[in-house]
Amino acid sequence: MYVFLCEDSIDGIFTGIYDAWASGYGHANVALSARPLENYALFDEYIPVATSAEKSAKVARTLQARLGAEIYQELCQAASASERHAGKRDAMDKADALYKTVVLALSLKNGRNVLHYLGEPCVSRVFQLSRSAWNETHHLMGFLRFRELKSGLLFAQIRPRHHVLPLLGAHFSDRLPQENFLICDAGRRQALLHPAGQGFFLTDAKDLDLEAADRLSQQEEAYQSLWRGFVQDIVIKERLNTKLQDQNLPQRFRPDMTEFCSYDASTHQKFPDPQ
Amino acid sequence: MPALQMQMSLSEKLQILSDAAKYDVACTSSGVDRSGGSSGMGNCAAPGICHSFSADGRCISLLKILFTNECIFNCAYCLNNCDSDVRRAAFTPDEVCTLTMEFYRRNYIEGLFLSSGILISPNHTMGLICETIRKLRVVHHFNGYIHVKAIPGADPCLVEQAGFLADRMSVNLELPTADGLRQLAPCKSRGTILKPMRLIQNRISDNKQELIERKGGQSFVPAGQSTQMIVGATPENDYQVMSVAEGLYRKFGLKRVFYSAFVNVNGNPRLPALPGGPPLLREHRLYQVDWLLRYYHFEVSEILSEERPDLNVFLDPKCDWALRHLEFFPVEINKASYQTLLRVPGIGYKSAERIVKARRRDRLSFHDLKKIGVVLKRALYFITCSGKMMYPTKLDENYICENLMRDKTQIPREIREAGYRQISFFDRDLCSDFRLSDAQILPPGQRIAAL
Repeated sequence: MYVFLCEDSIDGIFTGIYDAWASGYGHANVALSARPLENYALFDEYIPVATSAEKSAKVARTLQARLGAEIYQELCQAASASERHAGKRDAMDKADALYKTVVLALSLKNGRNVLHYLGEPCVSRVFQLSRSAWNETHHLMGFLRFRELKSGLLFAQIRPRHHVLPLLGAHFSDRLPQENFLICDAGRRQALLHPAGQGFFLTDAKDLDLEAADRLSQQEEAYQSLWRGFVQDIVIKERLNTKLQDQNLPQRFRPDMTEFCSYDASTHQKFPDPQ
Repeated sequence: MPALQMQMSLSEKLQILSDAAKYDVACTSSGVDRSGGSSGMGNCAAPGICHSFSADGRCISLLKILFTNECIFNCAYCLNNCDSDVRRAAFTPDEVCTLTMEFYRRNYIEGLFLSSGILISPNHTMGLICETIRKLRVVHHFNGYIHVKAIPGADPCLVEQAGFLADRMSVNLELPTADGLRQLAPCKSRGTILKPMRLIQNRISDNKQELIERKGGQSFVPAGQSTQMIVGATPENDYQVMSVAEGLYRKFGLKRVFYSAFVNVNGNPRLPALPGGPPLLREHRLYQVDWLLRYYHFEVSEILSEERPDLNVFLDPKCDWALRHLEFFPVEINKASYQTLLRVPGIGYKSAERIVKARRRDRLSFHDLKKIGVVLKRALYFITCSGKMMYPTKLDENYICENLMRDKTQIPREIREAGYRQISFFDRDLCSDFRLSDAQILPPGQRIAAL
C-alpha cells in the first residue's frame, strides 16, 4: 500500500488526491492520510505530499465541472471538518474517505448522485464530516456576535471546532454587503475580512491588534445592554428550563456571545455573566 | 398619548413591549430563501436561523415586540387586556426601525416580529404596523425577515399592503373552538379571525399566479401564514385541537400552526389555575402530531377519534399508532416504499429519504441505518434488513410497548426534569414495572390483537 501523507486543509487534501491519482499505482493500492502518523505499518510505503495551489485548483475545477457545485460544496465542507469532533477515533481517515468518494463519483455514470450512496463506507464518512462542519456553521450563523468598533468596523470572535470561516464568509458577505466586518477564528489565528461592497478574503490573524477590538463605538454599549435586557425579558418564567437552553445553545459558544457576557467599560475586561 | 409615556426611555419601552409579546410562540424565521443583493442589508435562509436561546429554552430568532400594549379589547387570557393594570408603552415607527437595523447588523436577530395591542381601532393599529415596515423596507433597505400580525377587524386594504412588505403574516386563532373564543375573548369572533386569514390565503395564491405570468413582480407573504392556539385554557380535547389544525392546513393553506401551553398570567378567575404549571407535555405531544401531519402523510383520524379523543402521554403518537397497527410490520428496509418507511417509529423523513437513495446501490444493514440517522432503539421492533430482525423480538403489542416505555426519551428529558408535579408523577410510573393493561392507556375496545 502506498500512503500519501497530506496536510490537513482543503488544498492539502486536494493536492493529495491529485498526486495519488497521478501516481499510477492503481486506486486499490493507494491510501491518503491527513492525520499525524502514529506508527508505520511494515509493508506500506509513505509518500509526503507537498501542498500545491495549482494542483488543488485543478482538482477543484474537475470536481465542479463533473459533479456540480452542490457536491463540490459538500466535499469542501467535509475537508474543513475537524476529525476529532466528527465520529469515533477509529473512523476512516478524512483524506482517504474524500479520495475514495471522488474515485467512486468519477466512475459513476451520474457522479452527482454519489453522496446518496450511504451504504459505501467512504461516502458515509464524508457525509458525517460534512454534516458536522455544516451544523457548526449553521449554529454560528446565528450565535456569532458583531460589535461595532470606534472605526465603524464590525468585529466578531469565534472559536469553532471546524474550519468554518470560509463557509461563514459567503453567508455574511451576502447579508451585510455594505459593512466592513472582520471575523476572527481565535483558535486557528485566522481572520476573515470583508471590506464594504467587495468580496471577502482570509488572512493570518497572528498580527491582529486585539486591543483595538476593545475600543468600542459610542453607541455600542447601549445596544449591547438593550440586547441583554431583551434576552432576559423574553423568558417565560413559568417555563424556565435551563437544561433545554443548554441543549439548544451549547455552553462552548457562550463566552463570545454578547448576552452571556457583561462588559465592564472601566477596565475593558469581559467577564462571564453570573446569571 | 399621555405625556408621561413620551418620556419613557427606549430601554424601558423595549422591556415593556418585549415582555408583552413573549407569549406569542411563533419565532421562526423559516420559509423563504432570498439573497442579499449589493445594496441594503439582509438576506433570508429557508431553514431559518436561531440566534439565541432564552432561559426557558425557546429559540430567539426575531426581535419579537408589540408596537404598543395599549388595547381596547378585554381577552381574559391576555396580560394586556384593557382591564388589567400594567404599564403601557408604545414605540414610534422610527424606534422600531432603529432597533431592528442595529440589532440585525450585530447579528443578534434574523429580523422583526411585530405584533400589537389594539390602539384606538384595528385600522389605526394596522396602519401603524404598515407604516413601520414600509419604512424598514423602503427607507432602511432592510432585506431580512419580517413577520407581522394581521389585526382582526382591520381593513382588507391595510392587510394587503402589509402582505407585500412582510415575509410571513399571522392571525392568531387563540382558542380552538368558537365557544372558547366567546367565553374568553368576547371582542374577537371566529369571523373576524378567519376573514383576514382567508384574505391572506387568497392573495398568496393569486400572487403565485401573477408571478408565474410576469417575472419580477412583488411577492406576497412569501413565507406563508401561521397561527397559534392556546392549549389548556378551555376544555377542548386533543382531537378537537388537531382537527382544527388539520382544517387550517388543508382549507386555509397555512404554513404552520403553533400550540401554546396556557400560562395563567393574570390570575383571572375565569381561567384554570393549573397548579402543576403549563401543560408542557401535552403541548409537546400536539407538536408531534403536527409533524406527523405535515411531514409524515398522517391524518388526524388515524391518530385520534371521538372515542379516543386524547393523546397517549406515555408514548409519542407515532409509536402509539404503530403499536395499534402491528399488521403493517415488520417493514423490510431494502424494499419498503418511502411512504411505508415514514410510518416506522425511529425513522424520520430525512432518514427515510436517505434510505431510499442509498439502497439503490447497496443493501443496507442495521449498521448503515445507524449511520444514516435511524433511531434503532425505537425502530428495531418494526423493521428487517434483508429479511432479518436486529434481535430476536416478538411482534407483540404488550412486549414492544413495555420495551419502548423503558426508553426514557419517550418523554423528553427537558420536560421530564422540568420539575412539574404532573411529570414526576409520570416518571414514577415509568420506573415501576409497567404493564400496558394496568395503565389503561388504551380503552380495551381500541386494542388490535397482535399478529
